[in-house]
Amino acid sequence: MSTRPVDTSGFGAYAGPVLRDGSKYRFEIAAHHLNGDDRLHGGMMMTLAAIMLGDAAREAAAEKQPGARVNALSLNCDFVSAGEKGETVEGQAEVTRATRTVLFISGELRAGGRILMTATGVYSIKEAENT
Amino acid sequence: MKAPLPSPRDVAPPAGWQTVDLHDPFEAHVGPLFVREGSGGERIFGFIVDDRHVNDEGEVHEGMMLTFADAFLGHAANRAAGKGCVTLSMQASFLAAAKTGDLVECHMRVERKTRAIIFVSGRFSRGNEDLMTATSLWKVLGER
Repeated sequence: MSTRPVDTSGFGAYAGPVLRDGSKYRFEIAAHHLNGDDRLHGGMMMTLAAIMLGDAAREAAAEKQPGARVNALSLNCDFVSAGEKGETVEGQAEVTRATRTVLFISGELRAGGRILMTATGVYSIKEAENT
Repeated sequence: MKAPLPSPRDVAPPAGWQTVDLHDPFEAHVGPLFVREGSGGERIFGFIVDDRHVNDEGEVHEGMMLTFADAFLGHAANRAAGKGCVTLSMQASFLAAAKTGDLVECHMRVERKTRAIIFVSGRFSRGNEDLMTATSLWKVLGER
């Protein structure tokens, strides 16, 4: 699969750009991603986590039921290490368990061989709307 | 103190609110962000959802809510510690989603403070409706 930007219409594009290649996501830490200490801002880390886990949930729901949508119920993020300007952050998420109505997703962000963040999320599956 | 960073979009604060001086480039990028004083003298932070902050369905992106949470739960942690703190973890529950034009407020509470660790919770609302609750854990830099 080729590399393409994700979430192009919304906050992901504005905060990013974030690129996706198959199941892998990445972005380069630019000046606007930093905090006051010149490190990667936690909000941008959690934004990538929300994008990756949300995509994984949406795709798992669509496999069960075409057109199904998902809602984020919770997101838990642990800040394992800091990201530095110019580094490339890479991330990946996977489905831990899928029930009929709920999805458990986990993921992690890495840079330069370090884990930056581990994240888990719970999503509800909404039935496709017949509009 | 360095001069505050400008936000790329000019948004006037709602009546009774002031624009926050931001020093983190990512917070300035998503801002402006606002502050007002609550009835008990506490600080309440806010932002107005615009087209930059939403997902494909026109609802506020979880990433924006978490960025807002990180900024101001961190602000509460820094004030409680009297020095800089870094985020160790953030747990958020999403109760309802805000839409473009909504004013989202953040009410913070320091739950416990030790020398090295600060526990901060936050309640995020639109008017009287809760949108998100969050709990967070902060490391006070240089303490153990």
